[in-house]
Amino acid sequence: MSDEAYIALVILAMGVVTFGIRATPFLTGRWLQKHPQVTRLGRFLPLSIMVLLTLHSVLDISGSWDGRLWPEILALGVVIAMQWWQRKALLSIGLGTALYLLLRNGI
Amino acid sequence: MSVSLTTAGPSPLLLSVPVAVGYVPLGAVFGFLFVQAGGPWWLAIASSIWVYAGASQFMMIPMLSAGLSVGSIALATLVVNLRHVFYGLSLLHALPQHPIARAYMVFGLTDETYSVLTTLPPETSTAQRVWLTLINQLWWVSGTAIGALLGSQAQTQLAGLDFALVALFAVLVVEQWRARSSPKPLWVALAAYPVAWLVAPQQALLLSIALSVGAAIMLDWISHER
Repeated sequence: MSDEAYIALVILAMGVVTFGIRATPFLTGRWLQKHPQVTRLGRFLPLSIMVLLTLHSVLDISGSWDGRLWPEILALGVVIAMQWWQRKALLSIGLGTALYLLLRNGI
Repeated sequence: MSVSLTTAGPSPLLLSVPVAVGYVPLGAVFGFLFVQAGGPWWLAIASSIWVYAGASQFMMIPMLSAGLSVGSIALATLVVNLRHVFYGLSLLHALPQHPIARAYMVFGLTDETYSVLTTLPPETSTAQRVWLTLINQLWWVSGTAIGALLGSQAQTQLAGLDFALVALFAVLVVEQWRARSSPKPLWVALAAYPVAWLVAPQQALLLSIALSVGAAIMLDWISHER
């Protein structure tokens, strides 16, 4: 990840897409109201995507080590449990990452 | 929070404090991980200025590392941010007249800004809404800058620190789960990923996103067309 032109192009494209999505209801409010399935997809997909990103990134990290999954599963369990009970994103991320660092660096 | 009842209305800076508490540290985590993954610090800041969408900015880190094409990443951004399509619907009346201010407020409609804007008292002026939107983004950009500079200073790379990214996605899963109207999106994703991984392990993320979109369209059609 060091090709600056490639990264800059990705950022440019992502900005255009994001702005386009946010502007859509202001430009095509009536079209959207006639196509409620777009709105329903917008409600359905984020949960799927976040699950996929979690799975993908956790396997990615595990694969860059020895491939044994237990430290990842343990740390992930802590994050999910903390977020479920306390609902403090930074606390959940901080505790889970700290536990993972301990497990991985064998302290 | 006590809000002044004068005609001046609530101060945008005061209203942005709860957003700052989340945006500065999370922006810092983004900047840090972006730089640690090998990206230049100034592009981390550029993405917080130009893209300004938390979840997809975090998503871009593994995607850039995997060297996915610009088109694939743009498509994934579309899918992740699709929920923003209906944010605007409830704010149609609240936009300023000035074209630049108007465009900027549309640009700045993140989850957090949206939720603050929709809970403002109706007498809030459009100027205050624009300021609030701008101040929120300034928190996000400042956080990113802090994280990016820290990340480029860090000499020894602490092994396993990128777990923060996994943790962030897991937090978003829990929050999306809370807001769900059905558990189906979870089952769809849990089924799609292994299938995608078996078919094309190198492209598992993109393929599983495509499978989930297909399944979502199919499930929607089944439950609404009959």
